[in-house]
Amino acid sequence: MDRTKRIGVKYCGGCNPRIDRVKLAQDIIQPLPPGFVLTEASFDEPWDIGILICGCPAACAEKPELKSLARNWLIIAGETIDYETCSETEIAQTAAEKLKKPF
Amino acid sequence: MALKTGEQYEESLRKMNFKVYLLGELVKKPVDHPIIRPSMNSVKMTYALAHEPQYEDLMTAKSHLTGEKVNRFCHLHQSTEDLIKKVKMQRLLGQKTASCFQRCVGMDAINAVDSVTFEMDQKLGTEYHKRFVKFLKMAQENDWTIDGAMTDPKGDRGLPPSKQADPDLYTRVVEKRKDGIVVRGAKAHQTGAINSHWILVMPTISMTKDDADYALSFAAPADAEGVYYIYGRQSCDTRKLEGGEIDVGNRQFGGHEALMVFDNLFVPWENVFMCGEYDFSGLLVERFAGYHRQSYGGCKVGVGDVLIGAAALAAEYNGAAKASHIKDKLIEMIHLNETLFSCGIACSAQGHRTASGTYLIDLLLANVCKQNVTRFPYEIARLAEDIAGGLMVTMASEKDLRHPEIGKIVEKYLKGVASVPTENRCRVLRLIENITLGTAAVGYRTESMHGAGSPQAQRIMISRQGNLEQKKQLAKAIAGIKD
Repeated sequence: MDRTKRIGVKYCGGCNPRIDRVKLAQDIIQPLPPGFVLTEASFDEPWDIGILICGCPAACAEKPELKSLARNWLIIAGETIDYETCSETEIAQTAAEKLKKPF
Repeated sequence: MALKTGEQYEESLRKMNFKVYLLGELVKKPVDHPIIRPSMNSVKMTYALAHEPQYEDLMTAKSHLTGEKVNRFCHLHQSTEDLIKKVKMQRLLGQKTASCFQRCVGMDAINAVDSVTFEMDQKLGTEYHKRFVKFLKMAQENDWTIDGAMTDPKGDRGLPPSKQADPDLYTRVVEKRKDGIVVRGAKAHQTGAINSHWILVMPTISMTKDDADYALSFAAPADAEGVYYIYGRQSCDTRKLEGGEIDVGNRQFGGHEALMVFDNLFVPWENVFMCGEYDFSGLLVERFAGYHRQSYGGCKVGVGDVLIGAAALAAEYNGAAKASHIKDKLIEMIHLNETLFSCGIACSAQGHRTASGTYLIDLLLANVCKQNVTRFPYEIARLAEDIAGGLMVTMASEKDLRHPEIGKIVEKYLKGVASVPTENRCRVLRLIENITLGTAAVGYRTESMHGAGSPQAQRIMISRQGNLEQKKQLAKAIAGIKD
């Protein structure tokens, strides 16, 4: 039986965001499907899936030290998700679909 | 042979069968033609420096395709560090040649075509990216110079390709065969075309369904049957036929452009990377232009370094170096030049990964970079002319300086500071003339204006990328405005 997957969110610093990062996080987390639980970051117990939300495509927060917080990552950077172009209005839906698939 | 030497590059060009018209004549040996040769020397420098340990870090990269060391001009950027090194390499080459060294356009083309073909295949199920990677491996293995060919002649700018009175004014497919396509049309302003091994053609504007035959990207040998060139004139170009070394300003290096004509060129399918997918033509233009606008934050800066140095020398030879206004003008030139470099570095540092893994510059900052390039070299050139003085354009010729009788008179009256030979003063003034209004001004001035897109093209991109709505929200928050 699959165990509950621990999920967490990290943001970039937000110097010049081209998307509403906080609203986007809420849109992804609120309808989180069963089997996922939102947790705080911990280096002792990495998340199963981390969601990195950066305001622009530069994805400046995508660094090795941050990535050790999770076993797998979903990278949202401006209007891209996992480096593919995606309009802001479609990112939450696309992220939800990606979360349901095995990483 | 992943890294050619300069000599091997020159030899490889000699084996090619270019069809080039220059001053109304078919050129027999382009490499040895005195008007063309300096431009070949500039490209040759991109090969030579790759073998110099002190430049290796900028000039070479590790291919992500093969793991081999390749010339950076054949490399796909795999990180923001690669993007930054590209700009630094371009500054270095601008310093070494004081000219357009021509090879950037191919590097920018391969990087743009890579990510766009990858995304086309993802969306459409085509196999362009696989073909392109095969081509790129050959380019890296053979260290090819590639001419990225984008700009069509365009005819009536108010009409799309399919509505032109002459359908050949944009490059197009005229026949699709089982084994390939037949192409007709032309590409204008083709930098370094006659110093290139291959051509990588891209569409020139965003297109609609009616223009599908013009949504075209392919590669072809630069000397393929069905391709010929009409060489572009440059200001003062025939001075290169006089045989001297002072009046040309830059005896060794130069750049060139040509009109490239496709006269029913056959291209096998394996070298076709876009054929009718008009939805992606705009994306390819945007990315190529973005990379090329980044490039100018490196190459023009390197040439600017030489021009600033020449202006400082001219001031010394004129005896004016200690004047406060001269010092201030040199400071202003440095400030402008380094601002251009800052933009080139910034758009690289803020670059990001695309779906194919290749890194793309920050498009807003790249367009800001190029917009500044449409202005600052002009001001730097103006200040250089100011410092140089009018003699730069009224000076006697090299033949007069060498003349057995009047040479002494020229020597006497063109003297500046007593300890500086008159010939040195003439040389540095001719160099400034070369960059500001001679053959190299094609690259340093008008190319700064129109190359990689005219100023308005950048302003459109700045408008699209500028995120004005977010700025309005910031103002509302500070001003206490609640909608």
